Amino acid sequence: MQAGFFNHLLLISQFELKRLVATRKGVLNLLTFLVVWYFVLLYPLRFAAELVVQEKNFIQGFSFFDAIGFGSLQQWHIPEFAVLWHFSLMIFPLLSITLAADQTCSDRERGTLRFIVIRSSRDSVFFGRFLGIMLIQSLFISMTTLTTLALVLYRDATLFSAALPNVLVIIINVILAVLPFTAMMAALSASVKSVRQATVWAILIWTFLASIISGLAYYLPALDFFKGLIPGYQLADLAALTEWRTLQLAYIPLLQSLILLAVGRWIMARQAL
Amino acid sequence: MSSPIIQCQHLSHIYAGKIALNDLSVEVASGEPIGLVGPNGAGKTTLLSILSGFLRPTSGVVRLFGYAPGAAQLIGKVSALPQDARLDPSFSIEEQLVFYARLQGLTTQQASVETSRVLEAVSLTDIAHEKPLVLSHGMAKRVAIAQALIGKPALVLLDEPTAGLDPINVRTVRAIIMEQSAKTTFLISSHDLTELDRLCQHILLLENGIMQTETMGINAQQASIRFITLQMEACPTTEVIAQFQGLDGVLQVTNPQKNEFIVGYNPDVQPNMDVQLMQCINAHHWQYRQLSHGKSLEEKLFFKD
Repeated sequence: MQAGFFNHLLLISQFELKRLVATRKGVLNLLTFLVVWYFVLLYPLRFAAELVVQEKNFIQGFSFFDAIGFGSLQQWHIPEFAVLWHFSLMIFPLLSITLAADQTCSDRERGTLRFIVIRSSRDSVFFGRFLGIMLIQSLFISMTTLTTLALVLYRDATLFSAALPNVLVIIINVILAVLPFTAMMAALSASVKSVRQATVWAILIWTFLASIISGLAYYLPALDFFKGLIPGYQLADLAALTEWRTLQLAYIPLLQSLILLAVGRWIMARQAL
Repeated sequence: MSSPIIQCQHLSHIYAGKIALNDLSVEVASGEPIGLVGPNGAGKTTLLSILSGFLRPTSGVVRLFGYAPGAAQLIGKVSALPQDARLDPSFSIEEQLVFYARLQGLTTQQASVETSRVLEAVSLTDIAHEKPLVLSHGMAKRVAIAQALIGKPALVLLDEPTAGLDPINVRTVRAIIMEQSAKTTFLISSHDLTELDRLCQHILLLENGIMQTETMGINAQQASIRFITLQMEACPTTEVIAQFQGLDGVLQVTNPQKNEFIVGYNPDVQPNMDVQLMQCINAHHWQYRQLSHGKSLEEKLFFKD
């Protein structure tokens, strides 16, 4: 009657999903997300999309978006998705840091994790929580993209067949973009004592460590490799790509996630509970 | 002796340079509840944490039912009441216990039935839908004991199960352990020696991370000297000792505490020493409060001489 690794993985990730809809904290997170994206979709996204459409019909040879470094916006066939793409690459990684900060740290400090690991492996807990958080984020990403699709269709219903590939491209790419951030938070959560510590460390890694490595790599190009380990390393280049070309950089977040998950698993296996 | 369910060989654990367990080797067989005692910092919680798989030993080998702690084969077979561990405040007691039962391989329906069973065992069925934050310390402890009983495990490791409980709840916990001990072996770490004295046939004594074994029961029966512990009402100590020492078969009389006497005697000379003591007390019009065979656990463990 013993449950296997994958069964545990499923049960633990399901429990995380339940946390989103059946607990006060989860519902609060969901409401915050909905409110933020309601305003993003209603104002910046809608108006920015209109601006992109106007810009396309503007003076040849000059582009406002090129001038501010967002020229790639115009390369998307459907402007709403172009704007969503840029917003998503900024907002979802940040959301990931807050949403995924408490994968194991609070439960470990409270002792709750002991009740779980006595009937499950540490690997199941680590990967189950990671999978649960990824499912929640995938749900958020899909909700946002599908709402944008609804806005596009409201403007022009004939765009449906052209819009569907964009929906897939954005969902897949944004999920890939948040993957290493979630993996980084899994590793941090396994090693620190509180959500606050995990968040602070994530910001330090994301900002200071990235700057220090970039600075050092200027003098010692061999260190360039380490830049590739910082989650979000590819985001600037990714924002410049459009539609299916965005998958050219998919290997970076996948490799980063594998390395960060391996580090997190190593920490989790050795951590006193 | 049946095959050991717990085997520790040369187990050591060091916390920040301080030795918590020092080359500990012990084997425990299934059966009656086993007590684990020792002063604060002796390493009791460290040992239970290692056995539960919460902590990795610095060196040494640990096996439960032949498997390393945390092995998949031990799921549902070994359970624990960790010291000071609390449930997740976001979910109800029932939701969490059902989740734990599901992790042990039970179906949703079985898990629900099992949750009701273990909550009933600790008399807490009425709080099943409550969140852990509304529970008192005693209730939280009983819920933690309830989770340890899910799936009727073969071995339950209890770290201070009665700490902070009122006498009624202590009685409930004791009754649960006695009731389940026919099928489950309990390893109980506690400072409450009276409680362990009542529950356990075997006592493991940890001192400064080193294990010493005290076995009660059979050995006590076979010993050439037996003891009776007497709690008296207010009485003339010197005269009591003198009168007891004058009885046939009495080898020694000690007075470890006010109005408490431990009478050591030769059972071959006087097998009915308890009757003889009663007659002596009655003849002198003294009053006694309690007479018990053997020494108290406290006397056995910490005042051997």
